Amino acid sequence: MRKIVPQSLIPVLSGLIIILFSCAQGSCFDETESYLKASLYNTSFSKILAPDSLTLYGMNRDSIIYNKVADLTIALIPLNDTAQSSSFVIKINGITDTIEFLYSSYPHLISKECGYTYYHHLDTLPIFTKHIITDISIENSTITNLKIENIQISY
Amino acid sequence: MRTFKYLTSLLGFLVLNIIQVHAQDTIPIPLKIKVGIDVLGPATYYSDKNVLNMEAYISFDLDESKAVIVSAGSSNYKFSQYNYSYMSSGKFIRFGMDFNLLKPDKSRGKYWFGVGLRYGLSSFNSEVPFFDKTGYWGTIVSSIPSRKTLAQFVEISPGVRAEIFKNFSMGWSIGMRLLVSSGSDKDVRPIYLPGFGSAAKVITAGINYFLVWNIPFKTKNVIMKKPAPEENEDNNTENGNKENTGTTDGSIIRQ
Repeated sequence: MRKIVPQSLIPVLSGLIIILFSCAQGSCFDETESYLKASLYNTSFSKILAPDSLTLYGMNRDSIIYNKVADLTIALIPLNDTAQSSSFVIKINGITDTIEFLYSSYPHLISKECGYTYYHHLDTLPIFTKHIITDISIENSTITNLKIENIQISY
Repeated sequence: MRTFKYLTSLLGFLVLNIIQVHAQDTIPIPLKIKVGIDVLGPATYYSDKNVLNMEAYISFDLDESKAVIVSAGSSNYKFSQYNYSYMSSGKFIRFGMDFNLLKPDKSRGKYWFGVGLRYGLSSFNSEVPFFDKTGYWGTIVSSIPSRKTLAQFVEISPGVRAEIFKNFSMGWSIGMRLLVSSGSDKDVRPIYLPGFGSAAKVITAGINYFLVWNIPFKTKNVIMKKPAPEENEDNNTENGNKENTGTTDGSIIRQ
């Protein structure tokens, strides 16, 4: 019996060693912003094609999102999380248009490490001027932090 | 008179033989009601004030290897970092079966090395008191109000227990849990599920260290079947040794 008890205690006490394992805190590697992803479709070439120059900024905002950027085929457009609509000024190859998006927003947990962001849902087709833009179509109305195209801007 | 002596000695011999066979082939195993409390949850709280888990169980031996078990507990969890804070509190219950893999001659009602199968329910409230987000349109600060959630999971929990003192055991179990349902929508998921652990994964593992009070309520004599003796023709036939004869149940009757 003396032999049995110490032997039996070995696995019991070994549990204490297992308990000592610790969990390291993780880091956030995910995209935390839910951009509206807009591909730029050139109707002359009938394909997605970067304009020679693209400028984009929010209506009544000082900071510019894109400033005369070339080689951009997909524009990442940040919507205002606290509003139900966001308006932007877009200048393609020097010609200016405006786009207004109407949407609803809801919080979304990205991960424990990254925290929360807002997802959006496009409620209707965007309202836009047609100086250079010919059409805007919705490809996916749910705007998330994933790399999924939401709209296509034809110019 | 000689016949009486002969019958008496024969009866005595048979009784002794029966007692000997009985002593060899049966093991008295005490069946118990066990009440255990987890000490690891409160102990962990001293090093990590964000999680406090309290858990206890009661089990009832059905026989020498099987027991029904119900465990219940409560959990308080909070987490905060630069851009949000989260808190949840709730209760959980698990019920299922424990299976002792030790043979009765090894366990003797004192040692348990086995596996448990459980179904678990976790009922809790969670809320996000604040989160902030900085982007192109500035910084916004918001919150998500408290919401009640019911999650379900299943668990396999291997472990060991050993009786340290009379009717007092201790040991550990590793709970490997599979989330069946988090009970919440996909956008505002819980971060932590009481009784389950991190909700970020479908499979989690946790560990408990139990102190157990055993209450014997019945003793069961378990018949141990010995392995059938190997037939040794050299001993039994060639040497004409007929001292021992194997029986169908594997026990040995001396002739």
